[in-house]
Amino acid sequence: MGADLFSLLVQSGNSLGAHSAAMSVAGNNVANANTPGYSRQIANLTANPAVSSLGGAGVGTGVSLVNITQARDQFVERQMPNALAAQSRSQTESDALSALTALNPNLQGGLPTTIGAFYSSLQTWSQNPGDPSLRQSVLGNAQALATSFNQTANAISSARTGLDASISGKITEVNAAAKALADLNNQIQISKSAGGQSNDLLDARQAAVDTLATLTGATPYSDGQGNVSMALPNGTSLVVGISAGQFSAIPDPSNNGLLKLQLTRADGSPPSDWDGTSLGGTMGGLFGARDGALKTAATSIDGLAFDMATALNTVQQNGFDMNGNPGVALFNLPATSTGAASTITINPAVAANGRLLAAGTATPTASGDNGNVLAMIATQSQALPSGSSPVGTIQTIVTAFGTSSAQAQALAAHDGAMASNLQTLRDATSGVSIDEEMVNLTKAQKAFEAVSKVIATANQMLDTLMSIGN
Amino acid sequence: MRVTSRMSFDLAQAQMMAARDRAVQAQQQVTTGMRVDHPGDDPAAAGVMVSQGIAIQRLDTIDKTTSGAQGEVQTADGALQSVSTLLQRAQDLAIQLGNDTYSATERAAGSQEINSISSQIVQLMNTQVGGRYIFGGNVDSTPPFDATGAYSGDAAVRQIEIAPGLLQASSIRADITMKGVGGGVDVFSTLSALSTALANNDGAAVRSSVTGINQATDQISSALTTTGGILSAFDSAQQIGSVAKDSAQKVLSAQSEVDIFKATSDLTLAQQSLQATLAVTAQSFNVSLLNYLK
Repeated sequence: MGADLFSLLVQSGNSLGAHSAAMSVAGNNVANANTPGYSRQIANLTANPAVSSLGGAGVGTGVSLVNITQARDQFVERQMPNALAAQSRSQTESDALSALTALNPNLQGGLPTTIGAFYSSLQTWSQNPGDPSLRQSVLGNAQALATSFNQTANAISSARTGLDASISGKITEVNAAAKALADLNNQIQISKSAGGQSNDLLDARQAAVDTLATLTGATPYSDGQGNVSMALPNGTSLVVGISAGQFSAIPDPSNNGLLKLQLTRADGSPPSDWDGTSLGGTMGGLFGARDGALKTAATSIDGLAFDMATALNTVQQNGFDMNGNPGVALFNLPATSTGAASTITINPAVAANGRLLAAGTATPTASGDNGNVLAMIATQSQALPSGSSPVGTIQTIVTAFGTSSAQAQALAAHDGAMASNLQTLRDATSGVSIDEEMVNLTKAQKAFEAVSKVIATANQMLDTLMSIGN
Repeated sequence: MRVTSRMSFDLAQAQMMAARDRAVQAQQQVTTGMRVDHPGDDPAAAGVMVSQGIAIQRLDTIDKTTSGAQGEVQTADGALQSVSTLLQRAQDLAIQLGNDTYSATERAAGSQEINSISSQIVQLMNTQVGGRYIFGGNVDSTPPFDATGAYSGDAAVRQIEIAPGLLQASSIRADITMKGVGGGVDVFSTLSALSTALANNDGAAVRSSVTGINQATDQISSALTTTGGILSAFDSAQQIGSVAKDSAQKVLSAQSEVDIFKATSDLTLAQQSLQATLAVTAQSFNVSLLNYLK
């Protein structure tokens, strides 16, 4: 078979197909320039082997499209899930902690100010213990202190309940993403066995992996059969090949009725309790904030309310009121510190009658006897059972919460920079450059035009040949 | 590095957000004047703000309480000085009328004056400040002395805190000063004895009462020394308290408040950087091959 004009026409036709495929690829890339998880595709063209010879010289037979591949950097992609998980965890935790304003040191009506104001009212009272208006002021400030404990405890508790609502929402997202990943594994297997190319499925799978990592901190691993499975941070698999585990949540009575996580594993074994704080990603951040700094703050506030009120009650009960009777408790408290801050109230009998405040140290009580008031003032600097004074304790609570919040913020900034750096690296390889695609498009267009010109020329040559006989 | 379209858009977006965040934070610092709002802004400073805030409040109240007690002790001091003057007059009368050249009528008039001095002293010892009797110890709701000079107060000395944890007596014991508890003389009995001696025209008894009146004067002087001591303790406590409050205030300000010059320049810087970021971003969006392909 020679290098005849007819075969030139045929092969030029095929070459047009290859170039228009290259244009389609460039067009597809441009169209997906903003699609998350999309990896730039490359049309690989190759020269057809020479099959004809003319005087011993091999003459080529044009170009054809070999395949369409993706530009991906495995090295960067392997680091992505961990970076996304870390960023999401610390950012979630930081956001949750920054949102709590109940422990702000300058907050009007916050614990630091009401504790100060209460002791201040005792101090003023000590100078004239028989004065009914000063007694009333002590009662007012004791009431404000109890209310402040209630409000602070409620603010922390509603922050924790709010995180629970997010957790429920995220569980749905995790389950959907795990299911999607398992489905994609299945589709990719089917597509492969049919000999097809599955670039878009691979992109979608990578996106699902990123989503699951962001939500749970799970890391992907390959099972050797082309599936991408994912393991939770402690090593248990969440997705194995084409089956996915599912999370669910039930109220936990041992943790104020907040949600407890349960995992139904990929192998279908019955649901078992799962420690939410062991997760990474958004879920880990939510559990970390809920059962970490916020729980610590709630417990410490409870402890402070209980210890401080108990110390004041003890002093009151050791003294004598204006009627010469032994003093009664100033605050009503639960039996243990659990929930003390949210339930502390001022004793209604004392609230109704300021004369019941015990200022005196002896009976019958002289109206100027302030010995017991001085003892109450002294509790301000005396160590509570926790080892620190009331003022020292609230200072520690604020500092400890602040430290957790500042750490989460710093981590969020660091992890955010890491993730965005990796994202940049991934984009550098896999992202679409519009300028570049424009060049590719023009390149393909010019080649297309040139091949068209070849066809026109071959056509003219054939015409010339045809017209010889006329 | 291969720069792709999304990279430049993402970067522009991130930079704009960061510049805006900085500008808003700088603005917040300038408008509120506070460096720390949330404990996470600076945990150590937040803790210091809590403890120093309470400490300042305590020092403030102690200062007010001390001022209140100071008023009482100053009044007590004034009353005791008047008592001292009255006793001086009683002593003068005793020495003068002890001379037998004075007639029974003149001594009877002296007796009247001593009775009046005695009831003036009772009134002085029943002085009230803000509705409370200041010479009755802890019994501050009823007059400590009746018309005969009988004492119904108690033996307590009132105390207040003049510095955190430091108690200071804020009253004198009228039972010692006026009634001679613990080995002194009873001022009222001494005066009444003098009055009786004068009424009876008993020259010798009048002369011998001078010793008792001297003792009574000494008791008042000693009480005045006590009130003086209390007042000077209050004064120095208030001065020390005011220094302590100033330094606590300084610590608090240093930890919680912004340096306004720095904050203002930070704000200007942040605003300029935001402006520059916006300008550069808008410009970079215009540079594309698409503009040149026709």
